[in-house]
Formats: sequence, structure tokens, C-alpha cells
Amino acid sequence: MPHSIPSAGFLAVAASILLALPAFGQHPLSATYDTGRKVTLRGTVTRIDWVNPSAYLFLNVRDAEGATANWAVEFGNPLELEKDGWKSNSLHIGDTVTVEGNPARGAAMQAFATSVLLGGSGKKVFVASGKPHPPAPSAPAPRGADGHVRFGAPPGKTGYWGAASATALIENTAAKVPMNREGLLANLADADRVAPFQPWAKAVYEYRQRTLLKDDPIARCLPAGGPRQFQMPNGFQFLEQPQLGRILVLLGGGDRNWRVIYTDGRKQGEPDEVVRGYYGNSVGRWEGDTLVVDSIGFNEHFWMTAGGLPHTEALHLVERFSRPNFNTLKYEVTVDDPRTYTRPWTGGWTVQWVPDQEIQEYFCEENAESTFIR
Amino acid sequence: MRRSLLLWCCAVFACGSFVSTFAQQGHPLTGTWSGDWGPTATERHPVTFVLNWDGKQVTGLINPGPDSIPIASVFVDVATWTVRFEADAKDAGGKPVHISAEGRIDDLGSYHRTLAGSWREGAAKGDFKITRD
Repeated sequence: MPHSIPSAGFLAVAASILLALPAFGQHPLSATYDTGRKVTLRGTVTRIDWVNPSAYLFLNVRDAEGATANWAVEFGNPLELEKDGWKSNSLHIGDTVTVEGNPARGAAMQAFATSVLLGGSGKKVFVASGKPHPPAPSAPAPRGADGHVRFGAPPGKTGYWGAASATALIENTAAKVPMNREGLLANLADADRVAPFQPWAKAVYEYRQRTLLKDDPIARCLPAGGPRQFQMPNGFQFLEQPQLGRILVLLGGGDRNWRVIYTDGRKQGEPDEVVRGYYGNSVGRWEGDTLVVDSIGFNEHFWMTAGGLPHTEALHLVERFSRPNFNTLKYEVTVDDPRTYTRPWTGGWTVQWVPDQEIQEYFCEENAESTFIR
Repeated sequence: MRRSLLLWCCAVFACGSFVSTFAQQGHPLTGTWSGDWGPTATERHPVTFVLNWDGKQVTGLINPGPDSIPIASVFVDVATWTVRFEADAKDAGGKPVHISAEGRIDDLGSYHRTLAGSWREGAAKGDFKITRD
């Protein structure tokens, strides 16, 4: 079976992207912005869209000929920005600013900001950090009345699960595969190391990589199904309801979706009888301090991880959740989809606890006008 | 009458929007494809393919319904996304006729990707273009 060979252009673009874009918003930045180019814009703020998934500044910028054009400058997810100290009122309409960033691919007057400098004071009001927040001091994992480890906050406390240690799923037998936070490989030849693809699946994965993830369904605000739900910005939370025989997973990214894991001892359903969805039909059981969740009944409307791993309706996931200490969630998933992969395979990551905070309101569609129409 | 037509058009548009929102991201051939084939630009015959990837091969039907035609074989070259179909049907007189079609999937990641190429049905030759619904 012939394989596609990555072009020099792809490698150059991927290598430059690997130098790190922060994981802002809900659409693949690589597909929208050319990280190999820089743009400096000096202009007056005409509008501020402090909305999810990405905040935008609109600037009137005068060119060398004296003509004025209105630029849309994306500068990150508001929830992440607030964690970095940025406020919605850090800038005001009428302020003069200098923006450095990456221009959009094509002719659109749009850019992604890497820094915003306030004109009068010269004060740098925003610098894209992309750095994960340091973990809080550790403590033993909390336990419920039944003795099981709790994955949510202890009674009387708040907190949620935030940044994942990996933003893409790869087989855990592979050595480190260089890729950026969007799951874009530095070297397309590494595709074979990501997962044991069937030939068609590898070709689809490579196509998605070569086209810089432009067709990612989450860019259209569809839910991040499968393992990807635990890699989204804005985190997630577990709400344990032993009296109802279930655990709810409340998802901060996407559209404030939730997932149900039944822990009432029921058996998994037959694949043909399950209504297919983004999160599947999930049945959980305890193995010591590990919650083992078996899920089937997935639709084919999503990419199960950043980077574009494909799957079919035959997807069967076995997820293993454990909390080795208060601040760490260990997530491991075995992917079994014989229509897509040549054998079952396993990957995983850890997730950090964000103490004393709640997941904030987030709606992906909020700035659809800026993201989709412009 | 005019109002009914307008409502009908709105309903069709709404259905199209709904379908496009829930696009299929699995095997690129799986699903329903519709379009036409014909020997000339003016003589066209509507055609519908229903295809499914079972993990080993693509199977399916042409024009599902009472006179559906089972697809005998589907070959896919994933390097070029070229697809070749072979099927045996009956012509209007009930005589066996062999159908072979070969085309290429365009814009693989699109919600409404297309498959277009050449079509042979017995002695007739033409082209075809189908779009994934």
C-alpha cells in the first residue's frame, strides 16, 4: 500500500508550529494562522469581544497609504486569560495599542496576538504564556463514605480538573513523539508511532495533519467525544452520586456538556441497541482504587483526540481512572476499534487539580460571528 | 401555493443544515452518496450509493429499494483515494448488464465530499459524480 510522503512545506510549517502556540480556544490555530509569519499592528481599539472560545480585539489600523482597515485580533480563551491576570477591562475602546502576532492564512485581516502593548504607557498588557499553572501542594486522595476514592471535590470544598499533561492521545509504547499542543506532528513520518492504524485510517490521519486540522469538528463547536473530553481547555469535574448509582462528568470545554457513567452494577448493552453519541454508553466498576469504565455506542461525528485520530462506530473504550494523590488524576484508555486499528492499544495522561475554583461558564458558540463569519 | 413552496424550500434547507452539522468522520466512504451519471451533459440518470466499511471491505448497494443493485466489489487506493466499483444489474429489458465505475474522492475532509469519475454500463460510457449526503 503506497503511503503519502510529507512535503518539505509541511515539515517546515509543522516545525515552526512545534515551537509552541498556546492551546487557546476551541479551534485549531494552525489551520487559521500562519505561525511562520509575523505581523505588527498599530491601531485604535474599536471593539472588544470578551467571549468564548476566544476573545477578540478589533482594531482600526492605518496602512502606509493612509487607508484604514479593521483587523480582528484573537488573543486567547477568556478563562485562561483570567488565570494569567488579564481582565476584560484591561483594555478599553479607544485605546491605542501595538499588537504583535501571527497573521491569518490567506487575505483575511485577522491575526493571533502574541503580545499587546498599550500605546500611551508602553505597558505590555498581554503576553501569550501557554505555560501550565504549577500544581498545588499534594495531599492524599479524598474518599467517600463507601471508602472509594472520590474524583470530585471533598464535601465543603471546591475545585475541578484542569490541564492535562498531554493534549493528544498516542500509544504509550511509543517513545516521545514530537507534536504541538494541537496534536500536529513535527514529522509526519511519525504517524506510524502514534497508533497501529489500518491503512485507510493512517491515510485519513495524515490527510488531517497535512491540512493542518482544518476540518476538526470542534472548530464547528461539536462536542469533544471520547478521550478528548479530558484534554479540553477549561477542564472537567466529577459529580459522584452513589445513591443514584452513577457518576456525572461535567465538562468545562465545549458546550457545558455532561456524561453519565453508570455504577449501579448494570451490564454493558449490545452495540446495536445503544443510541450512539459523543460520549458512548458508559458502565463503571471498581478495581481497588481504580474506576474502570467500559464504553460503547459512539457516533462518528468527532475526532477522539486532537491531531485527528479517526474511529468508527465499532469503537470500544476501556478507561481507567485513579487518583494517586489529591492533585493528580491518572487517566488511561484502551482503544479497541478493529475497523480502524489493527489491534487494541493504550495511551493516557495525568490531569492537575485546580483547587478552590469552579468551572466557569463557557459556550463555544459565543463568538461565532468573529470565528466563523469574518 | 407559493407559500407552500417557500415552506418546502425552508424545510429542505433546514434538513440540509442539520445533516451537514452532524457529518461523519469515520471511514470516508461510509454513508449515503447521491448524484448522477450519464453519457452526455444533458442525459443524466440519478444514482444513489449506500456504502459501509466493515473493517475489511467496503460493501453496499446502488439505488437502494425494490430494484437495488448489490455492489460486487469495491477497491480503494487510500494513497490517492481512487475508488473502483463493480456491479451486475439488469437493463430495462431484463438482460444482465455489468456496471463499472472508477472515480476519485475530492476534498476528503469535507462534510459533503464528492466522488467523480468514469462510468460504464454495458456498452454505454459516461461520467458520474456523487456527493456524500
